[in-house]
Amino acid sequence: MNDFDMWLYWLGLAVVTIPCGLVAILGLSALLGITLSETSISRLTQAAVLGSLLPAISILILMLATGRRFVPIELGNWVSIPEVHFHFHWKFIFDRLSVPFVILALMLCGVVGAFTRRYLHREEGYHRFFLLYSLFLAGMTISALAGTIETLFFGWELVGLSSALLVAYFHERELPVRNGQRVWSVYRLADASFLLGALLMHHFAGEGDFGTFFENAAWPGGSIPLSQSQALQVGLLLLLAAAGKSALVPFSGWLPRAMEGPTPSSAVFYGSLSVHLGAYLLLRLAPILEASWQLQWIVIGIGGISAFFGSVMSRVQSDVKSSLAYASLTQVGIIVTEIGMGFYYLALVHILGHACLRTLQLLRAPTLLNDYHAMENAIGMRLPDSTDWLAARLPSSLKRWWYRFGYERGFMDLILDSWVVHPFVAAFQLFDRQERRWTNWLSTEPSRESDNIEHHPESTERVA
Amino acid sequence: MVKSHSEANGTLANLDERSVKHWLEHASHLLPSQGPIKVFVHHNTLHAFEDSNFDDGVLQGLQVYGCEPYFSEDRFRKEMKAGRIQVADLEQALLEELGDESDRLIAGFGTRFALQLAMMKHPLRSLPYRELEWIMAEGGGLQEYFADIDPQAVRRCVEATRKEILKQLESGLQNDGELSELLRPIVGSSTLDRVRNWSESKWKKVSLEFLWAVCNRGVQRTFVSRSTPSRSIPSRATDSFDQGTTDLEYSKQLDFEANRLVNDLLIRFSSCYLDQGFAAWPMPDRENGFFGAFCSLYQIPAPSSPAWLESLPKELTQIQAQHKTTWEVVIDELQRLGIDQQDYEHHVTQSLLELRGWAGMIWQMETASPWTPKPAPPGSLMGYLAVRLLLKRLATEYAKTMLPNPSAGQPIPSKDLYPNSEQTRTCASIAFTIFQMAQFRSWTPRTLFGLSSTDWSILLQEIEKFSSLQRRRIFQLAYERRYRVQALDAVSIHSANQRLRRNSQTKSGSAKFQVITCIDDREESFRRHLEEVEPACETYGAAGFFAVVMYYRGAAEAHFRPLCPINIVPKHYVCEEPVFSAELESGKRSQRRKWIGRVSHQVHSGSRTILGGVVTGLLGTLATFPLVARVLAPHITARIRDSFGGFIRPTATELHLERTTELPGAEWDSQGYSTQEMAGIVVRILQDIGLVQNFSRLVLFLGHGSSSLNNPHESAYNCGACSGGRGGPNARAFASMANDPRVRDLVAQSGIVIPNETWFIGGYHNTCNDHIDYHDLDRLPWQARPLFREMQANIDEARARNAQERVRRFESARFGLSPADALRHVEERAEDLSQARPEYNHATNALCFVGRRQWSRGLFLDRRAFLASYDPSIDNAKGKIVERILQAAIPVCGGINLEYYFSTVDPEGYGCGSKLPHNIASLAGVMTGAASDLRPGLSAQMVEIHEPLRILFVVETTSDIMHRIIAENAAIRALVEGEWVQLALLDSETSQISLYRKGAFEPYRLQSNQLNSVPTSAEMYRSERGHLPFASIDAVSNSISVGDAS
Repeated sequence: MNDFDMWLYWLGLAVVTIPCGLVAILGLSALLGITLSETSISRLTQAAVLGSLLPAISILILMLATGRRFVPIELGNWVSIPEVHFHFHWKFIFDRLSVPFVILALMLCGVVGAFTRRYLHREEGYHRFFLLYSLFLAGMTISALAGTIETLFFGWELVGLSSALLVAYFHERELPVRNGQRVWSVYRLADASFLLGALLMHHFAGEGDFGTFFENAAWPGGSIPLSQSQALQVGLLLLLAAAGKSALVPFSGWLPRAMEGPTPSSAVFYGSLSVHLGAYLLLRLAPILEASWQLQWIVIGIGGISAFFGSVMSRVQSDVKSSLAYASLTQVGIIVTEIGMGFYYLALVHILGHACLRTLQLLRAPTLLNDYHAMENAIGMRLPDSTDWLAARLPSSLKRWWYRFGYERGFMDLILDSWVVHPFVAAFQLFDRQERRWTNWLSTEPSRESDNIEHHPESTERVA
Repeated sequence: MVKSHSEANGTLANLDERSVKHWLEHASHLLPSQGPIKVFVHHNTLHAFEDSNFDDGVLQGLQVYGCEPYFSEDRFRKEMKAGRIQVADLEQALLEELGDESDRLIAGFGTRFALQLAMMKHPLRSLPYRELEWIMAEGGGLQEYFADIDPQAVRRCVEATRKEILKQLESGLQNDGELSELLRPIVGSSTLDRVRNWSESKWKKVSLEFLWAVCNRGVQRTFVSRSTPSRSIPSRATDSFDQGTTDLEYSKQLDFEANRLVNDLLIRFSSCYLDQGFAAWPMPDRENGFFGAFCSLYQIPAPSSPAWLESLPKELTQIQAQHKTTWEVVIDELQRLGIDQQDYEHHVTQSLLELRGWAGMIWQMETASPWTPKPAPPGSLMGYLAVRLLLKRLATEYAKTMLPNPSAGQPIPSKDLYPNSEQTRTCASIAFTIFQMAQFRSWTPRTLFGLSSTDWSILLQEIEKFSSLQRRRIFQLAYERRYRVQALDAVSIHSANQRLRRNSQTKSGSAKFQVITCIDDREESFRRHLEEVEPACETYGAAGFFAVVMYYRGAAEAHFRPLCPINIVPKHYVCEEPVFSAELESGKRSQRRKWIGRVSHQVHSGSRTILGGVVTGLLGTLATFPLVARVLAPHITARIRDSFGGFIRPTATELHLERTTELPGAEWDSQGYSTQEMAGIVVRILQDIGLVQNFSRLVLFLGHGSSSLNNPHESAYNCGACSGGRGGPNARAFASMANDPRVRDLVAQSGIVIPNETWFIGGYHNTCNDHIDYHDLDRLPWQARPLFREMQANIDEARARNAQERVRRFESARFGLSPADALRHVEERAEDLSQARPEYNHATNALCFVGRRQWSRGLFLDRRAFLASYDPSIDNAKGKIVERILQAAIPVCGGINLEYYFSTVDPEGYGCGSKLPHNIASLAGVMTGAASDLRPGLSAQMVEIHEPLRILFVVETTSDIMHRIIAENAAIRALVEGEWVQLALLDSETSQISLYRKGAFEPYRLQSNQLNSVPTSAEMYRSERGHLPFASIDAVSNSISVGDAS
């Protein structure tokens, strides 16, 4: 390894490890009960973001200067069990896809961090917010730069975990917790599918390393050692994972529900970064898509339907955050379509632009009334009803139907509930009843003591 | 006979549309009366209960809304620890409350007063049974006396116990059967000698064990003698143990589940229904009213619907086929829900209160908001009620299938799993209370043991009666008393000092300049600083609309909005127009504004569609620049934006103030006032503030408002007297009127001669960034310009110091900022997207002075006082002027104060909770997070430094006048007699104060005759974030303004 490579290696390492360091510091201090002041938390966060962002930019410049398009960073195996051909391989790559994405993620996180520093001032959960934020940041960098599918999965999990916990940030209220749980269950579904896909990939190719997998061609080139049907199988599973993460059809229902946390977390997680992660996964696995035309068509289909549904739903929402959530979905749908069509660079540019715009819009969401007022004043009258392309072309009965469709948020939650959740729960309740029947019969009396547990009364504030 | 017959039948014939409407209207009083948030007007949150007195009102609030009436006991105890409430305050409050009852002896436990005082001084804890058991067994409850008990008292108690036990042991635990029984387990098998050698800590433990045993025995015996154990002492803590399987619990659970389903649906529907133009697609058939729109929407075939709504389309079709009106549906559903007819009204009220934010907004949009883009059609709330009841029935039916009644199906868990009956638990809980009381009051076990069961009964009753709510009420009184005593002492001492100083100085001429601001508490510090900077100036306070009641439209604004108190409907319209010579240029700029407006609207709505979204998405990287710049450097970004603003800002403008037609109206030539009307306005204000002679060369009127970003409640920060608008135009209009020579001639006829060289200027004070704009300076006469420059310099210094005083409250501003840095800090706050506290608005308000400035000038009031100017010497004997001032001041300041009170004592219930997850819904209000009830009230961030005290008015007038005013003005009477506000009168000649108590004015006795004096205000606030005491500022007090002696 020559000097130049060493430089790249250390810079790349810094990009990945510094956010993890932040998690360690904030996490350990919380664990040990050390109270950090607001100032030190925000300073640490800023330092970490900068400490990661600057090396990332340096790498970009070095890559542009030298014309290198592929910089792998090997960290070796975390686990390796040769007998069963199992290994968890840490590897990060810097290429035309990951560098812009990681810079985007770091920049937006940096801005939102700076925003939150003041926005959450005096808030009880300040430390908790920044701990989850650092977890998210680390997850984002890891998954953006991941060089193996298992590394990507690791980052993906961190992002999912921190997102769900941030939705439930105001855990003293019921709804955030309920919605956080809902987000989490959709994420778990996506994760399970991701994991299966990754295993299948290893199984078919014996390899989860994107570099070797795609035959060391720089993104988006490369071909894969999979047959068309194998690619379809792996691709479908990963597409399901991406759909869950990016709230594509039929998982769109969780997106507006996720708007429970403080405004900045909604902005960065659902408006901009988290929601694009599914699209990013598809971009990363572009060669798999190319290997199967059926898969490409399915991707285009899901993307297109999501975009259309998203735009209908966004038109009907009357609160600003849900509306912006569905507007995001529309664009993510289009990005996915672009990926399906093979316009990878377009999709990448689209992700970058859309993420920035939506972050700004969401951060400004509470100032909506002010904006409307300003626009009305500038125009000098009530705002004109937006000239709606869709509305103008639909016959009125159809328009009503689509209104209902948008109002019910595409019926997606309902359908998922009645076709997936309900049968699932019913099945397990059935098992439970059977078990109770058996144990009662065996012990000849009510066998489950947990039925009779007294709940501890939580409220003791009212006194005699 | 006939009457009882119809009652017994209870037929539907009794109920017609009128009665349902009547219920609805009745219930609507209980709904929040805040309209669309764009116009935020402070008002008493419990306006509905203003007819009762304050203490009953807050209790009704507790019953109806389940919201806290006062701070919690814990919070009050914290205030006690911090010295904010003193024991003397508690004693006074209790004495006043108990009156003659305070000396009543309670079964040998001392006086009622002493008993209650002990209960207030020490925290009485109430624990759930399990916790109590644990604490007594191993948690140290029987090891140590409570920490806040005097060690001396502990020693006495232990000593008494030691004597008693030794005595008993010496007599062989024989003579008193029961006592020996109690002592035996405690002493165990220890011999007398061993007992004699017990250590001090052992004795402590033994004495506590003895005490606990005695308490338990006493309470149990009393309970056996009582037929029904009282449930009022152990409240929530033990109640939750009873969540058994009774039918009541079951129906509660059903109700909860059903309401959850219904609420989820209604939040979404109401939000779409009320939408003011945010969604690109309006709700179809909205013009058919709430019920009509609901029917249309839910009859559209859907591929899937939740199980509980499966029969809904059928029901709706049926209702429509029968041509039922909404009120008939309401009655129908009430019947089908199986509710007794006499409970209908109650049930209607409860149904509306369930989502009271949304229901209230529907009512407001239906009845009181014709100015909004899309008011709700009439009958909307009735429709809402019909839908709600219908859904409730469906949801309850569904919930029944999901949650089978456990008492019907599964066997109730056997009783032996609950070894402790309810009575045991209740007893233990009460015994624990007595156990704590005994420690606080140093009751020895022996005395307690010696009590008869009647005595025990009395004691228990006594403790029961003085419930937590009662204690919190007394705490509140004490809390208010501390501040009141300090305030009244300060006023009395300061006004006396001021009078002495004034008498020793000679009077000469008029002040250098005079400044009139709004009575707003935020202007208090500004006025004080201005007087410090230029002691030769005078300041006055008048309600910030300056008697100019108008619909106003600025040159760059689209609509007229009222700039006057909410209860007045303006007749006059005033427009700001470009000056005649700049019409062309102004037209160009307005075109540019229009263009920019259209583009930003396109971007705004387009970015949410497919194609527009693609374009904006691809170009979205450009958003990085504003994003990064605005978040990281808000101040600089604002400046850059400002400098570009020159291309679109309106040119020089003037107010279209004078009309040519007979009657006022909205058309161009009937906009404005007649000279006669203008003169009326000018006279009114000058009389109100007592400025009828000694006019300075320059008189500045300052309206006020506030600008901040990312703040849905922005309008709440503006001038309350302008309906949440900005008062600049009012000041500008007033100055123009007062400068008009024709008007001055008319004014002179009322005896107010404004000298020719006097010039009025209108201005605008932005209380968030402390900027001050002056209007129409081009017309300023040459001779006055040098003086204006001086005044401007003084004001610039004053506003910087004002900013310095303000920033001490912000934790994010470090101590020791210079006035200039402080000004920069507040400017940045106003431009910062991420700032959740642009300013603290009216937080900490607690006082309102109505009277001459001379007695409050130079008194440091810590930005907590509304200051209205009034000069009794020019008022008539009946107090006509003070009456009209109070007609505005008491309801407005009282309303602001009470809204802050309630949002502070219960930020979640009465306030709108934390601002951080707020989500603007329907462009009408805020929800918390993705979906919730609409949240009226103030956010936790707005009230976090507020002290919930009822406002104290100090009015410079006589008790006769005040009695007359109270008697003749219903709004004032309700607030004053109901004790929603506190009232004191000041005689400025003698500095005597009398305090209103239960219908009469009682002379107030000074509690101290000391008032700190400091050289400047800055001395006071230099390094302190909390509330500050009163003080006299030498810089102002020593140099009495020349005009004051008038």
